[in-house]
Amino acid sequence: MRVSAIFFDGEHARDHAVEVWVENGAILFEGPGVNRQSWKLSGVHSIDPPAEGQPFRITHMDRPGARLVLKDQAFVANLLADAPHLRDGHYAPAHLKQVALWTVAGIAALLAVGYIFLTTLPNLVAKALPQEWRDKVGQQIEKSVVGDARQCDAKEGVAAFKKMIANLTPPGQTLPEVTVRVYDIDILNAFAVSGGRLIFTREIVEKAETPDEIAGVLAHEIGHVASLHPEEQLVRVVGLQVLLSAISGGSGADLVTNTAGIAALLRYSRDAEREADAYARDVLTAASIDTTGLKTFFKKIMKLDTLSDLGKEKSALDRIGNILSTHPDTNERIDAIKPLPAGVKAKSSLTEQDWQALKKICG
Amino acid sequence: MLRLMSDTQMTEAPVIWRTTEPPPIMANQFEDLRFTFVTRPGLLKITLVNFALNLLTLWFYRFWAKAKVRKHIWSSVHINGEPLEYTGNGLELFKGFLVVFFCLLLPFGLINALISIQLGPESGWLTLSNGLFALIVYVSFGFAIYKARKFQLTRTNWRGIRGNLVGSAWTYSLTYFGAMLAKSMSLGWATPAMNTELQSQIIGDMRFGDGAFKFKGRSGPLYPTYAICWFLMLFAVIAGVIFAGPIIYLILEPLMSGQPDQAAQHIWAFLLALAGVLLAYLVLYPLLWAIYQAKELRTFADYTRFDGAQFRLDVTTFDLVKLTVINVLILVFTLGVFMPFVQRRLARFLIDNLTLEGKVDIDRIKQSQAQVDTRGEGLADAFDVGGF
Repeated sequence: MRVSAIFFDGEHARDHAVEVWVENGAILFEGPGVNRQSWKLSGVHSIDPPAEGQPFRITHMDRPGARLVLKDQAFVANLLADAPHLRDGHYAPAHLKQVALWTVAGIAALLAVGYIFLTTLPNLVAKALPQEWRDKVGQQIEKSVVGDARQCDAKEGVAAFKKMIANLTPPGQTLPEVTVRVYDIDILNAFAVSGGRLIFTREIVEKAETPDEIAGVLAHEIGHVASLHPEEQLVRVVGLQVLLSAISGGSGADLVTNTAGIAALLRYSRDAEREADAYARDVLTAASIDTTGLKTFFKKIMKLDTLSDLGKEKSALDRIGNILSTHPDTNERIDAIKPLPAGVKAKSSLTEQDWQALKKICG
Repeated sequence: MLRLMSDTQMTEAPVIWRTTEPPPIMANQFEDLRFTFVTRPGLLKITLVNFALNLLTLWFYRFWAKAKVRKHIWSSVHINGEPLEYTGNGLELFKGFLVVFFCLLLPFGLINALISIQLGPESGWLTLSNGLFALIVYVSFGFAIYKARKFQLTRTNWRGIRGNLVGSAWTYSLTYFGAMLAKSMSLGWATPAMNTELQSQIIGDMRFGDGAFKFKGRSGPLYPTYAICWFLMLFAVIAGVIFAGPIIYLILEPLMSGQPDQAAQHIWAFLLALAGVLLAYLVLYPLLWAIYQAKELRTFADYTRFDGAQFRLDVTTFDLVKLTVINVLILVFTLGVFMPFVQRRLARFLIDNLTLEGKVDIDRIKQSQAQVDTRGEGLADAFDVGGF
């Protein structure tokens, strides 16, 4: 069957009347001013899916600019029977397959990047952060956390904390550099922020009954500092925030000012808490300080925590969660704290006089 | 996906293609060009499948979705029986997005994060950085519009010939920025003059193959209509103040004299009046300005020529309002999912009302060898100014 059609060469807007026919798996055409050409059907594709009343337009992969416009419906029907791939509309199976492939690959890549972003990368970046930076960020976070609470700085109390850290230091070892500040806040909590800054609340100092309890919490927080948990968490949160804000077009600046940001900064993973627990246990044991102090204090916090939750509106600081409330398996953590090995004589973590001074740090 | 031809591809034509003989010398046919919009079936399927794929891919499919919709709508526009063809693909749009994301959005996000860590969230440097970002956005608005238009034109084929914009996007961008300033500083009165200048630049740069569009005309004839709209708007604002003023007074006066109880009595009247005024403006503002917009569309078409022919666009204010109202309703009731239908309605509206008076020597037009960008519309996507 030979029918007439129109040909555009892709170089000139001029249209050419041609005669078209199909022969040996190829579409052939020629006309006045157009030499006979043969397009292999396998290389031919349609511009738009065939539609009734619309001219059917095809091209060849080697001649991407050229167009053959077919208007004879019977010829088009035969052609479609010979070359079913021309039927492919906007959603050719090949296209959908490609989309599915890219979607799966994209999600896998996102997961992989996300995993690296949340696990290995923060630690590497945290290690590379200059000390000055850690300090500056820590200062900001500390300011956001404590708000305008008064700092408790009774001279004897501050000195007592220093003595306690000295007593905690196992002979022949050094602990990471830390500074402890106590704030007049009536929430039972203690946390470590970037740059080795430890923040204790008045409540936690007052609720402790023995120096060993405070020593235990101190050792736990120093554990976070030693493992760079605050810095790691900072990199994690900032990285995510920058990525999200870049996608949504924000500025990425509000991370240390909003409560959700602070809460995210100070919440550590279960593994991080276990790591800090283990560190505390090792330091206390090496320094021969009774580990049951930490144990009983954990229990106390757990009890007080449940009590204080009743009928109390939660503030931003409460939302952060205390050293225990991050994860439900608190009992398991408490059980993991073992007493000093038999035969090791426990030392006191603080003299009675210094302990009284520490208790009165807030006046 | 269809690739655009390049010079090298042209010379390396395979054996099945013989171009040795020149086209025969024939008398050129000067033709009348008729625009018709021939609705194709299948847009609903495209819309729904696109939506599903967008959901599955967290909207990363949107570039491919856009290309699909354009292909469909373009092919519905027939000029003398031969449809337009959109030859772009999603990948090009995606690349455009990636470039803008990694060269503009991500660096600014990182810089802001660094500043806020190093110097604190109240640092003046942060304000400076945000200001700089805003300035870049404002200055490149015109750039984004021009580049997006250029990209769309180079991906639009008719009779195998593509369009283009051959001027400088930076020149247009500066004019656009200046126009924004001039419009706001003149309380709007620079609008007709500025819009005419912008349109003149874009149409003057527009090509179909090697054929040039021409734009010639002054902004003067637009001013009477602009003045009518401007004063009607002013009148509406005064009327709003007269209506809402007493109610505002009712609530402000006791507040000022320290009687909040009395003010509270009128709070509902106040809120109702406020809502009423806002709603009135929300409806009134676009309605009023549609008068000017219709006039501008008609005038700009009259100013535009191609070869020996002159464009004409017969749109009335009523047509424009009807189109807009129905489009807004479609978007509202389908939560934006049926955007492709809105775009098709818009294309149909323009094509149905567009005529070309005079003859065009189509056969003389050749493909232009001007450069074609390989990616597009990243900025337009980020600023949401892409049009279709």
